[in-house]
Amino acid sequence: MEIISLKDIHKTYPPDRGGKPVRALKGIDLEVAKGTIFSIIGPNGAGKTTLISIMTTLLFPDDGTGTVCGFDLRHKAGKIREIVNVTSGNANFTDNFSVAENLNYYGMLYGMAGEARRTKIAGLIEMFHLQAFRDTPFNRLSTGTKQRLALAKSLMNDPKVLFLDEPTVGLDPQISESIRINLKEMNRKEGLTIVLTTHNMDEAEFLSDRISFLQAGKIIAEGNPTELKRKIRWGDVIRIRYNGPSFDPCHLSSLDGVLEVDVNDGLITVRVDDHNKRLDPLTRMVLSEGDLLLQDIELIKPDLEDVFLELAKTPHSN
Amino acid sequence: MSFLNLRKHLIQINAFAFKNWLITRKRVFHLVEIIFWPFISLVSVGLLTRFLGVDSKMIEFVLIGVIAFSVIQIGQSDMAYVILYSIWNKSLKHEMAAPINAFHLIAGSWVMGLFHSSIVFLLMCVFSSLLFHLNFFASGMARLFLFFTGLIFFAASVGISVCALAFRFGGRAHVGATSLVSVLILLSGIYYPVEVLPKPLSHVAYFIPLTHFLEYFRSFYGFVPKSPHPLLWGFLLTAIYNFIAFCLLCRAIRNARQKGTLVTMSE
Repeated sequence: MEIISLKDIHKTYPPDRGGKPVRALKGIDLEVAKGTIFSIIGPNGAGKTTLISIMTTLLFPDDGTGTVCGFDLRHKAGKIREIVNVTSGNANFTDNFSVAENLNYYGMLYGMAGEARRTKIAGLIEMFHLQAFRDTPFNRLSTGTKQRLALAKSLMNDPKVLFLDEPTVGLDPQISESIRINLKEMNRKEGLTIVLTTHNMDEAEFLSDRISFLQAGKIIAEGNPTELKRKIRWGDVIRIRYNGPSFDPCHLSSLDGVLEVDVNDGLITVRVDDHNKRLDPLTRMVLSEGDLLLQDIELIKPDLEDVFLELAKTPHSN
Repeated sequence: MSFLNLRKHLIQINAFAFKNWLITRKRVFHLVEIIFWPFISLVSVGLLTRFLGVDSKMIEFVLIGVIAFSVIQIGQSDMAYVILYSIWNKSLKHEMAAPINAFHLIAGSWVMGLFHSSIVFLLMCVFSSLLFHLNFFASGMARLFLFFTGLIFFAASVGISVCALAFRFGGRAHVGATSLVSVLILLSGIYYPVEVLPKPLSHVAYFIPLTHFLEYFRSFYGFVPKSPHPLLWGFLLTAIYNFIAFCLLCRAIRNARQKGTLVTMSE
């Protein structure tokens, strides 16, 4: 069952001081199933924030229709705001209000009554380990603590859909990891639907049930992580340098998890779905050829740019 | 509207009053604006009248203007700061993602404006009585109450307009606030009767509710109002301007959602 449905959404920003209008979204169709984690990934300027802003009704689309939790984006925006929440990386709050005061203020904005609000705030402070910062002003918090406050705020109204715009941007790996685990748990335990944008492929893969690639205002690929890896040959690259006679790549193509093999001048380049699973059988097979002498093995994880270059080469449908 | 719905709206209105209260408590500068400047203005103008040797009637005329203007200034700035602080802190996006509307915003901030203005109004009345022998209470409490009510409702027109400017122009709107208030000083007869203005401007002055409220209250100190019903005109114009300003604010918020400025103001 779809909790979000967008059809042919267009958005153009008016020209800024003599510039040209910016076409941020060019006909987005999107469906998000209830209880899933959906990631939108793309380079800077792809339209990710615009798309998430439209879904949270912070921005109205120029054309197209859409519903969130069954409510129309334009005509029932107030209803949508009651049952969703949003936060972003580097979120800002009133700088000299403490953690508790900021949460109290947002609880009131969502119309929560006194006792329920206080109980909720206490629970969120505990959940995000903010006890020590309860009375600390926002401008004295570290980046990681600010982000934990932002996440706590985004759960204030028990949203049905949580929108996160690059929630781990600028955070150190340890905090990012704990935030990812928090999100995964909220999704698993409470069935919370999460829509997030990210630059981080590993984050998208770890969290997401489905992923959309957005480029220049268009979705150029969509699917679950496995489907997408298969579709765009997104995976890890193992490079094996060897000495010996020429090698027949057909041997390796038959192995499980191998997406692509290229043999060229003493270098075997193999793209696999997961190097942890495939490295061992791969090297065993290469060594079984007998006459080969392995010189070097190199593991390469493709970055976002690789994937986008790959996607940009050929047209992809949703 | 059900009781639960009404309660929810009241909590949402209270959110902005709460925010304003915290701003006042935590920002010394804001407290200075509320208390310090009005008193500086009252004392300096009062001493100026003493230096110029004007009669007591003229002192009453000028001090009524100074106190009325302080009420407007405090009332409107409390409303404007609720939005301006969000813009300066880049938190507007998160606040506007909540299910609040223009009415919650202005009602909550106006309540705090009313609270601050009431305190300052009473203090200034007492102070001017002690220092300059202006008996503000001579006209009776009911008339004083009507005068203050008119001022604080008109302050809402200015405050809502500044909020609308803030949604349109961002943090630069405080320039608009200063400009709007400066126009009031010039046109609405705070320090001098509007008759001394050039003819076209004195006509414009009567489109400003403050002019009528001042004429109403000064009439109890021996100044004859131009219109027979200054209070009625003041409230009528205030109601019209509040309605127009509210429509402008709703439109500014809608435009900010359409043009994306709501998001860019928070980046």
